[in-house]
Amino acid sequence: MQPSVMPWWRRRLPQPLFAWLLVVPVLAFFVIWNIVPLLWMIGLSFYRYILTFGVNPVYVGLQNFSQILQDYNVWAHIGLTVLFVIGAVGVETILGVLLGFAFWGQTALPGRRLALTLLFSPMVLAPVAVGTFFRLIYDPMYGILPYYIHQLFGIPAPNLLGNGSTALLSVLATDVWMWTPFMILMTIAALGAVPRAMLEASAVDRLSIPRRLRYVIWPHAKFILILGVLLRTIDAFKTFGLVSAMTAGGPGNATQLISLTLYREAFDSFSMGSASALALFVLFIAIAFTSIYLFVLNYQKREVTAE
Amino acid sequence: MKPKVKARLQQGFLWLVAVAFFLPVLWLFLAAFKTASQILAIPPRWIFRPTWQGLTYMASHQAFWSHAVNSVVISLSAVVIAIVVSFVAAYSFSRFRLRGTNFMMFVLLSIRMVPGAAVVVPMYLMYTALGWINSYPGIILFYAMFSIPFSVWILKGFIDGVSPRFDEAAQSDGASRLHVMFRIVLPQVLPGIVAAFIFNTIFVWNEFLFDFIIGGNQVATIPVALASGLYTSQGIDWQYIASLTFVYTLPLMVVIYFFQKYLLVGMTFGTVRGEV
Repeated sequence: MQPSVMPWWRRRLPQPLFAWLLVVPVLAFFVIWNIVPLLWMIGLSFYRYILTFGVNPVYVGLQNFSQILQDYNVWAHIGLTVLFVIGAVGVETILGVLLGFAFWGQTALPGRRLALTLLFSPMVLAPVAVGTFFRLIYDPMYGILPYYIHQLFGIPAPNLLGNGSTALLSVLATDVWMWTPFMILMTIAALGAVPRAMLEASAVDRLSIPRRLRYVIWPHAKFILILGVLLRTIDAFKTFGLVSAMTAGGPGNATQLISLTLYREAFDSFSMGSASALALFVLFIAIAFTSIYLFVLNYQKREVTAE
Repeated sequence: MKPKVKARLQQGFLWLVAVAFFLPVLWLFLAAFKTASQILAIPPRWIFRPTWQGLTYMASHQAFWSHAVNSVVISLSAVVIAIVVSFVAAYSFSRFRLRGTNFMMFVLLSIRMVPGAAVVVPMYLMYTALGWINSYPGIILFYAMFSIPFSVWILKGFIDGVSPRFDEAAQSDGASRLHVMFRIVLPQVLPGIVAAFIFNTIFVWNEFLFDFIIGGNQVATIPVALASGLYTSQGIDWQYIASLTFVYTLPLMVVIYFFQKYLLVGMTFGTVRGEV
């Protein structure tokens, strides 16, 4: 082939140029929708900017950050979020692993596909839709759950979401209902990674069940399980739609997770400067978790290729 | 106990678990076929004469149609844009191993892991400043960005699985680079494209915060309608909410019935491959 006689549009681009051209659209999206807002947010976090006042932003240096660090409420809401994450992910993991074991290898279950569709249905629902509808389920007057509690235990139908001591637990229970299926899914996948030959060998050798778990199943299943727990942790930390539709943070501040605090700071108080500072703070926590997730993912890849 | 009886018992238990998790959804679906007073009836009615009243009542709302059309149009167009853009980028990441590929993949995933509430503030200010609030391109392109990380991750995984020898063989037969990309590699990663399409559509379909803040009346979707509350003179309009949620949720159930094997890859943003 003679490059000199080819018209310019038929000529091959040099490979690095071609490779970069393919990435340009994604980079463009990335710059416009991530870098620009991020820089905007970082810049704004040094300003006092109340949107409704119609006043120009005032430079205040690090004041927003020092205010956040000293704000008792922010720490209380972060604490509440941590409590929520630990509670939700803990229960979901335990329940999910136990039930996942029950579903393990049940390929002959009659109507398996339908059963799994029903089982996995909660996690594809919109959190907002779930939150809205669970408000009716929990309603002290018309709700089905307080009614059955009243029937079963003979106590007056409780106002689960309206009571500061039960509101967080009720939201947590809803989250557990929504996301335990996810942990079941991850457990089934994790157990599927255990080579069948090793399981059969351990059965032939009459290895005790705890030893089988420790030496045969765990080494192969751990990665997917850990990834599942991390993913749930990241997701639970983000919880917004569910709780905003169910309680909007109330009663009082009983279910005020950090994402709701952030939202309120920005769109109830319209103080964009301090909301940006808080957002950076939350962003940092989220990126830290994502790094752990990717670290485990890469570690797994290396180990798999080493095998 | 006979092994066969034991197996049957276990299967019965599994079905029981599945139905237990479905029960609240079932309760919601039943409500769509009840009259307004039946929905709020105490003791709860599990058995009743179904009525179309709720669904026809919903269909008579002008707003329902506009929300439904917005939901469909916005989620489908955003995801299609995202997949086209992601496919070419994933091909490049997979084949040419540019410098910074790993870093880009990390950054992309972290975008997806960040709490929406943390990003919505600058997005809102940017959209206000640029006048993109309440416009279709504004919201569609935002959701396209929202769908890109997952699409790149899943498609890169699938393209990595296609041997580069296909590319080399086709190129030595004189195929152009674009031909290799779209005619040789693309058909082999169709499952990845299907999975990316389905799960991104579900995520966008369910997202409400951004549409609520950077959208507006014109581009409001069904979740926004649900979140902003639907009231009549007697309080919350549960009949409308029940029918709306039913119509809105049923497609999702159908999708996970037919595309169950993509559920794992879908729910882990493309980072864990495998089937259930």
